[in-house]
Amino acid sequence: MTIKTFLSLLLLVLAAPPASAAALAATPEMDFQAGEQAAAAKDFRAALPRFEAALAADPDSLRYASEYRMTVIAAKAYDRALGFFKKLVLDHPRSAPAALNYGYAYVDKIPAAGSITQVILANSAQGWFTKSIEIQPTWLALFTRGNSYLYWPKVFGRTPLGVADLEAAIKMSQAVPKRPYHVRAWISLGDGYWKLDQADRARATWSEASKLFPDNPQLKARLARLGDDLKEYIENELDPNRRVDTDLKPVWMEP
Amino acid sequence: MKGRAFALLLGTAALGVAAPPARTTRGFEDRTAAAGLAHPHRNRRFKNPYAEIMAGYTALGAAAAVADYDGDGYEDLFVTDSSETGRNHLYRNDYGKTGTLTFTDVAEEAGVAAGNDAADATADALFLDYDNDGQPDLFVVRFGHSQLFHNLGNGKFKDVTQAAGLDRYANSITAIAFDYDRDGRVDLLVGNYFQPVDLFHPDTPRFFPESFETANNGGGVTLFHNDGPGPDGQVTFSDVTVKAGLKLSGWTLDVGHGDADGDGDDDLYIACDFGTDRFFLNNGDGTFTDRTEKAIGIDTKKGMNAEWGDFDNDGRLDVFVTNITDDYMREGNFLWHNDGPGADGQVTFTDVAKETGTWETGWGWAGKFLDYDNDGWLDLYVVNGWVSAGPESYVPDIFNMVVKPGLDLADARNWPPMGKKSLSGYEKKRLFHNEGGQHFRNEAARHGLDSTRDGRGIAVADFDNDGRLDLFVTNAGAEPYLYHNVLPPGPHWVELALEGRRSNRDAVGAEVRLTAGGKTWLRFVDGGNGFASQSTKRLHFGLGSAAAIERVEVLWPSGASQVLDKIAIDRIHRLVEGDPGVQPFPAEARKR
Repeated sequence: MTIKTFLSLLLLVLAAPPASAAALAATPEMDFQAGEQAAAAKDFRAALPRFEAALAADPDSLRYASEYRMTVIAAKAYDRALGFFKKLVLDHPRSAPAALNYGYAYVDKIPAAGSITQVILANSAQGWFTKSIEIQPTWLALFTRGNSYLYWPKVFGRTPLGVADLEAAIKMSQAVPKRPYHVRAWISLGDGYWKLDQADRARATWSEASKLFPDNPQLKARLARLGDDLKEYIENELDPNRRVDTDLKPVWMEP
Repeated sequence: MKGRAFALLLGTAALGVAAPPARTTRGFEDRTAAAGLAHPHRNRRFKNPYAEIMAGYTALGAAAAVADYDGDGYEDLFVTDSSETGRNHLYRNDYGKTGTLTFTDVAEEAGVAAGNDAADATADALFLDYDNDGQPDLFVVRFGHSQLFHNLGNGKFKDVTQAAGLDRYANSITAIAFDYDRDGRVDLLVGNYFQPVDLFHPDTPRFFPESFETANNGGGVTLFHNDGPGPDGQVTFSDVTVKAGLKLSGWTLDVGHGDADGDGDDDLYIACDFGTDRFFLNNGDGTFTDRTEKAIGIDTKKGMNAEWGDFDNDGRLDVFVTNITDDYMREGNFLWHNDGPGADGQVTFTDVAKETGTWETGWGWAGKFLDYDNDGWLDLYVVNGWVSAGPESYVPDIFNMVVKPGLDLADARNWPPMGKKSLSGYEKKRLFHNEGGQHFRNEAARHGLDSTRDGRGIAVADFDNDGRLDLFVTNAGAEPYLYHNVLPPGPHWVELALEGRRSNRDAVGAEVRLTAGGKTWLRFVDGGNGFASQSTKRLHFGLGSAAAIERVEVLWPSGASQVLDKIAIDRIHRLVEGDPGVQPFPAEARKR
């Protein structure tokens, strides 16, 4: 080893970051874990950039995206998330999960918005759900878009579109092993029929689902109600001022 | 529960007091035509390049105001029209002469009919005694130049707008008269919807709201201070809006006053369309401070009504505000419960509309507190409905507009014409019966008050002096309703007609705390609160089964307080500031 080579290696070692810092930046998972820890400590300022770094490196991760959005909701940093996902889908135009989560980011902001802004947000969300389906039709994307159609007033005529998506999602779910979260499409499909004034078909759907998913409390609640009681219950469930649960933990925990 | 109710029933029977009317009793009769009041309101049709678009947003102007303009002891009505050729109506109450609930339109001979022309459209009306002569004068609120009429006392009015310094263009939609600086004269607060662009010949298309939720390009409010009479005896007003701290630019639909913090002066609730309602605290020195964020928070809704009243009998004035609640827009009303001052001395309100069942009334307009069944709890009547036309809905048109990115909403040309479509039309009105200050139950259908016309204003008054409050409802582009209260007599009541001496003559702002049967009620004289309508200034107390009044405490706007007792129930009294007792109410004395 010449003295010149030795000095070059020494410079290289000295220029390298410390081992721990290099490790945090080394994998998206490490960024994600750091984000999780900061979020648990309610240090949202520290958490959000780590989640974003993880997602930027792995835009297809439902887990990273979902946990990021849950932290965004806690931090009420809706516009930050919308800005982040806007860039993410630009950088990764063929990522169906990124598009899907961009839509969810719009949904997450809806309860915090005024009534007309809610319409604009919901419409934007549906555009990204559709984009996600165009890239890769999945149970999750079909269920999500189908369910989102149900929140629109009847006058917009979107309920039949929602029913079609939900029927497709259920068909897709029947081709794979049953997962607990598949019940959501059944519940929503019944809601869709109910909204189309097909009360018997709604009840039949929920009944059929209850055989597949016994003891599901949401199915039980619907089947236990009739007439105005049921109307009030479903209208309350589909109230845009209520926060829609967009936590994807059940999906990524049981893929 | 059943046992307790039964015991109560036994108790009232034993006392010889009439039980509350059975739930099946229909409490109101539609007497509109029989009373001679079936003249329809007509909306203004503008004749400018934006007329087709404006038609959908100017279905306004159906208003009514109540006062005894001729001093015969019976409440009269001023009712507006808005079409270019439409004449306003001054309906003289003839009950004193005929013994039946009938009215005669005397607007032409009184000189107050001409409220509409090519350059002006009537939007609202307000009786006020601006010169403290005991004769209600009349302010006609207009898109254009509003009018002030002086009551000459001989059945005629004289237009004194110019002489009073009020002649200016504004797109005014509401007004109240109250003595904000407690100098003994009522001042005038005017709410303006559009900014002061000439709506009849706009020189710009950019006069529509710039946002659905945070619009700040509206007309705000104008506060006119009553400067009293000059050397010629003519009362004049001066614009003190900026000086008073009320420079605003929201789309005002209603203004309401009341003493929120119990300091003796009146605070303000300003209901705004397309954005944030405002709450102003009166500083007691002729200025106001915006306490919106602390008191009610920042909202993005479509406020349309600002009615004050103590719905839960806790001795503090609460506020009811209507918003839009339909399947496409779930804003919900506000029932602002006055929580009183906190540790920092600042008054705050909590919205209890959902908890009390008053959240949803469709596209709401006026909402008025009244104790229609004299049970001692303020009930709430709410009218609603925007445009009831064809079967096709206008909602998708609006939706298509709002989702266009970067659209300039302020430009009227970007708004779709409504044509023959409906928007929140054919909505049923709500009569919320107050169930002990905790909850309200809709009783409109039972009482025949669930019309589906496009309601705007509600004037509450005891038109036949029988101790039961009647309702006059205005409808846009349609006939009004006179609902005569025919609930069986039984629950006790008392009405007080206050007269200020050091205070303004109408005693606007006076608060009365009346105690009977161990309960205390708060009522106050309001100067025109509530959208498109002014109710009676006479204070009405439903006393339920209380057979005697124990105490009456009056806090006058002058700051003077007065305590009376042994006032007879089931009658109307005249109560003059500083006088030791009540006086017989002239009309009632004649009747007796």
